This record gives sequence, structure tokens and C-alpha cells, in this order.
Amino acid sequence: MTNIAPAASPETLIQMKSVNKYFGNFQALKNINLEVKKGEKIVVCGPSGSGKSTMIRCINRLEEHTDGHIIIDGNELTDKVKDINAIRREVGMVFQSFNLFPHMTILKNLMLAQRLVRKTSKAEARETAMHFLERVKIPEQADKYPVQLSGGQQQRVAIARALCMKPEIILFDEPTSALDPEMINEVLEVMTDLAKEGMTMVCVTHEMGFARSVADRVIFMDAGEIVEEAEPEDFFLNPQNERTQKFLSQILTH
Amino acid sequence: MEAVTGWWDDYFWGSVIVLQVFVCSLILMVLFGLIGAAAKLSNNRFAQKLAAGYTVAFRGTPEILVILLLYFGSAITLTAIAQVFDPEVKFVDLSPFWSGTLAIGLIVGSYATETFRGAFLGVKPGSIEAARALGMSNFQTFVYVRIPEMWRLALPSFGNHMLSLIKDTALISIIGLNETLFVAKQAIGTTGKPFTMYIVVGCVYLGFSTVITLTVMWLEKYGNKHMESAR
Repeated sequence: MTNIAPAASPETLIQMKSVNKYFGNFQALKNINLEVKKGEKIVVCGPSGSGKSTMIRCINRLEEHTDGHIIIDGNELTDKVKDINAIRREVGMVFQSFNLFPHMTILKNLMLAQRLVRKTSKAEARETAMHFLERVKIPEQADKYPVQLSGGQQQRVAIARALCMKPEIILFDEPTSALDPEMINEVLEVMTDLAKEGMTMVCVTHEMGFARSVADRVIFMDAGEIVEEAEPEDFFLNPQNERTQKFLSQILTH
Repeated sequence: MEAVTGWWDDYFWGSVIVLQVFVCSLILMVLFGLIGAAAKLSNNRFAQKLAAGYTVAFRGTPEILVILLLYFGSAITLTAIAQVFDPEVKFVDLSPFWSGTLAIGLIVGSYATETFRGAFLGVKPGSIEAARALGMSNFQTFVYVRIPEMWRLALPSFGNHMLSLIKDTALISIIGLNETLFVAKQAIGTTGKPFTMYIVVGCVYLGFSTVITLTVMWLEKYGNKHMESAR
């Protein structure tokens, strides 16, 4: 890590350059190059085990990349704990299994990191929390515990929790995969609203309808590589790579 | 029962000692348990081995033996050390209170080590990842996420450990701690009424253990209120 990569244009929020990631001998990511500009919505899809989740987990360093450069809003991800926490403040994440803190009420779930990480006052944290709970349309659940909510509601809370930190970017790691079918739409609606407001988003998802209507670019990954990257229109109607074609035929025929 | 009349105050002070030993050994037990669990969960090989040795030794030997060894062992060691500085010294010991408290803190702490270790492993990895992703430091994650989830998992076994502690207090009478069982022995010597005197001891311990059990039940109810489903 001698030379920091040349500064990208100020508009670029995420820059991955020749990123490789190994788990032992297994190479999970192969030479990933990705640029995400402010306000862009990227959908990442691909078969399971293709490295989609690993890739976005590298962006906020829940996984450590083996080599290459990851630069978030001009700051390179290195081993320095302080830098990592600073970057995580700006990068929200929504998980497949919601990962709300089970022992805290919804409101406290939303307030905790604001208080600890952003150092906001209690009153302000509460106000922000209620504001975003209203945005995801469940302010009446504020004093309940996560287990008392449906999956769709929990995921909306998780999105609100990420938003409370006022992040520059939100990463979604298969946000609807653990949900019952009737709850998927309520979560996608919230995500679509966010996209309309100009949030920078990177979503790993198999919701192709969402990809079509929201994404600026769709990225297809297979075996740890980015195989194809295209605007949704081209991606779905005119996929170039054989593997993309095969994948799309498998998921779109049903 | 009138045989007991003259002994109530001795029993009272004996009970106070039981309580004191309980509180001090409880603190030590939690301390040893947390240190032991941290060592077992650490990546440091030496710390792991040390903790493993600790749990094997203290879980695998009779409690009364540990108490005796610690009391007489510390007396011999301390006397030897003291004689280096002052050859006139005949005998130095750790008081029965402190050596006994330390002994049962160590013993029950070895059980607590396993309880805490299991409970820490039971904390959902997703909660920890969520905390990290929100930018919380390791320390903040530990205090606000790991510990609150961990103690709820540890509580049922921890209640048992507390009962062990209070009952083990009676063992310390063997090295001369004047808790209730010790009082009873003296009372029996004078009155010749073993049954009555031991029953009183039984009632004292039963009283303490009931309070502990009720406290644990209340804590479980409090700790699990987030698990009650919506009505």
C-alpha cells in the first residue's frame, strides 16, 4: 500500500480497483473494478455463491479485501480502526436477516448509534428516529420490540435505522430474501422512495422488477467476477455474456 | 425451641457473615468467570491453556479441599515470606473470611467461565455485524450489544451458580469462619440439641436461597420482556 490511488472525481463515492478477496485458498472476488457515483443506484445480481454479498460487505469492511484498493468518498479503506469506523458512519447497511438489536425497543434501536457514534443529544436522536419511522410508515411501532413486528416491518425499521445515521451510501444485502412474499412489496416501496430522493444505493437483490424500475446500472456477477455491467434496459433485453443469458433465462422464465 | 433463645444474636451475626461472603464471592465469581471466558475466547494460545487448566483444576476437585488448600497453603506461604523479613514471626495467615471467599469465588468462577463462554458464543453474529456497520467501536459493541444479549443467555445457569455460592459459604466454617453452621456447632456443644440447631441453619440458608431464586426469576422476566409476542 505505498501509493494511494489517484483521486477520482469528487462525484465518485465508491471506487473499487482490482480488488481480490480470498477465503483461505478460495478466491471469492476476482479483480473487481467498480465505480459508483453520487446518487447512482446499482443492482447487483448473480447466482448464489457468486461473491455479490462478499463484494458489498467489503465496501464497509465487514469483510477484509485481500488486495486492491477500495476508496469510499475519497478515503481509502485500510487497517486503521479509526478510519474504518469513520467510513462506516457514512455507509449504511441493510441485512437480509434485519439484524435489529433484539433487547431494545424499535425506538432505541434507531437511537443507539446516533447517540454513540454521531454523539447527538437524546432529544435530537429521538426526533430523527421518529422522523424516519414515519418515512417507513410505522411510527406506531416505536415502543415495541423487534420480535413483535412482522418481517417486513422489521426490515423497514432496519432501513430507518440506517437512515438515522444520515449516510452517504446505503448497501442492501438481499433485503427481501428472508421475507414472506406478501411483505416484499412494502420493503421495495420504501427502497424505491429512497431511490427517488437521490440516495446512493448498492443493492444485492433478485427482485428484477425493482432492478428494472430503479437501477441506473445492473451488475451481474458469477464466480467472483463482474461478468456484465449494463443499464437495465440493455441488461434484460440484450445481455451480452453467455452466463448472463443463462442466469436471466433461469430466473425470468417462471 | 427455647434452647435457641440465647443464640439468636449469634445466628444473626452468622447470617450477616454468610451475606458478606456471598456478596464478596459473587463479585469475585463474576470477575473470574469473565476473565476465564475472555481467555478461552481469545486467540492467545497461552491464555486459552491457562483458562483450560483453571476450569479443569477447580471443577475437578472437591470444594472443601480447595478451601483447605487455599487457607493452609496461603498460611504457609505467607508465613515463609514474612519470616524472610522478620525471623521473629511465628504465623501469618489470610483470614478464614478472605481465603474462604477467594476459594469459593475461584471454584464457582470456574463454572461461570463455561457459562459466560457459552453465552458470549450465543450472541447473534448479526447483531454484532449491525453494530459494526453502524460505526460503533468494539468497546461500544461490547457494552451495548454483546453484554445485554449475553447476560440474558447466561442468567438461568448464573442463578444456579449463585445458589452454589451461598451454600458453599457453609463449607468455610471448617476453617473457622463464624457463619451460621459454625454458630450451630458451638450451640450444640453447650445445649446438646443438634437437631434444633441445625434446623435453624437450614432455615437461614433456605431463606437466602429463596431470595436468590426469586431475584433470578424476576430478572428473567425483566430480561425476556422483549420476547413476549404482541397482543
